[in-house]
Amino acid sequence: MIEIRGVTKKFTGREGGDVHALKDVNLTVGDNEFLTVLGPSGCGKTTLLRAIAGLIGWEEGDIVVDGESVRRPGPDRAMVFQNFALLPWATVLDNVAFGLELRGESRAVRHAKARELIELVGLGGFESRLPGELSGGMQQRVGLARALAVEPNVLLMDEPFGALDEQTRRILQEELLSIWERRRLTVVFITHSMEEAVLLGDRVVLMSPRPGRIAEIVPVDIPRPRSADVGGLEQSPEFTAITSRLWESLRTMHPDHRTSARAAATQEVAG
Amino acid sequence: MTATTPAARSIVRRTPRVAVPPPLVGLLAGAVLWEVVAWSADAAFLPPASAVVARLWEMTVDGLILSSLASSLANLVLGFAISLVLGLTLGVLMGRYRPVDAALGVYMYALLTAPSLVFAPVFFSLFGPGRASIVAVVVMYSLFIIVISTASAVRAVPEHLTEMAHLYGASERQLLLKVVVPAALPLAMAGIRLGIGRAVTGMINGEMFIAVVGLGRVLTQAGGRFDSESVLAVLLAVVLVALGAVGLVQWADRRVNGWLPRTARE
Repeated sequence: MIEIRGVTKKFTGREGGDVHALKDVNLTVGDNEFLTVLGPSGCGKTTLLRAIAGLIGWEEGDIVVDGESVRRPGPDRAMVFQNFALLPWATVLDNVAFGLELRGESRAVRHAKARELIELVGLGGFESRLPGELSGGMQQRVGLARALAVEPNVLLMDEPFGALDEQTRRILQEELLSIWERRRLTVVFITHSMEEAVLLGDRVVLMSPRPGRIAEIVPVDIPRPRSADVGGLEQSPEFTAITSRLWESLRTMHPDHRTSARAAATQEVAG
Repeated sequence: MTATTPAARSIVRRTPRVAVPPPLVGLLAGAVLWEVVAWSADAAFLPPASAVVARLWEMTVDGLILSSLASSLANLVLGFAISLVLGLTLGVLMGRYRPVDAALGVYMYALLTAPSLVFAPVFFSLFGPGRASIVAVVVMYSLFIIVISTASAVRAVPEHLTEMAHLYGASERQLLLKVVVPAALPLAMAGIRLGIGRAVTGMINGEMFIAVVGLGRVLTQAGGRFDSESVLAVLLAVVLVALGAVGLVQWADRRVNGWLPRTARE
């Protein structure tokens, strides 16, 4: 379980003033929950994820994962990065085994574990390839296998499919769901796609920018297992009901939206 | 090449072609040019290429070159090894830790741009006329370019890689050895390649100005006799040493950085 209590994180803005990347964020993520976090750029969703990961600090509040306050990265949390963050000189096998290697596991142990996960993500036969020889989708499968290899309780995913084309993204969404159905772990998944957020999540957390805070939490009562088939789930009334509700909230946050642009302008004059 | 018929293509393919590596073509052309200029200028200190090569052959046969070469190579290898170890270490520390960079950076740039031979008398008075002084000069010539290029290579290591390692629990030592150094090596290699060239220059200068040994000694003596054929013959030998050393570094580069796509390497 992840408990986020009143977390506030400030950055020093370009003009010297404080910018609230996160302001009083309260959120609880249940065990084995698949939580998606949706919001426009600048809403602090990645900052929140990096805070849970222990990669950055914050000024106020507390983040507790399974009863322990987060101070730094820990073996209970693994992360999948938007730009894959693979070691370009290391083979698929060594990349997947990297987390285990850092923990001092023997070569035999970590390679056996890595092979198992390479099979799981469907990369069997590619063990000795280098990342540069793989497509983006295959590289992200490596990233996912590396995260699962350390057997985390919490999987943090930072727009993992954002850099992929539409078809690849759909396939990986399905595979992620099927892996999660079988492995059951807590997932916090950042995205800027409404469809992705609804397709994957048990709940969608909607964040709004300036200051970054939680605007809304929308439960997704669509039965599992779900499938990303075109014309299937995404055309269903439940799905469209949730996405249109999310869209109603998102459009008012968007910088190109008329009233919010006017509001921002007034704020600037006032500030 | 618009419409090549199959017949025409097969003719092209059948034409016998001797594969001459481009560097060899360049060398041959240079030698011919040298020969022509030397014959037409007829200057006292510009002997033709053929005479120089002949002299180099004589000096090789009577053992003068080889015996001097052994001594010179020992100076070179020792000096360059010190530069490499020290240079990579200092470079990684400077690239990774801002205080180290702040403390040492200015010295590194100052010593890189200072004419290294200026320090020869200092080494002479510290280490005497022996091998140590020459090795010190070789280090002086080759160290700083390696430090500076390694430091900038380390600074250029993508942040997402160090962050990823940090997330998966890497200690600082693991971070350096398993991420920073391998990621920085391709760029650092450029400095190492420049460093080996400068090390050869340092070796010859050290041998000429400090302790008169090795190829530098042969060079100084020939110069004293105004024997420009011998001077250029030794120079030719030095160039061969330098090319061999650079070739060795490039070979190591391919071994270590083989993961880079071809286009990114050269």
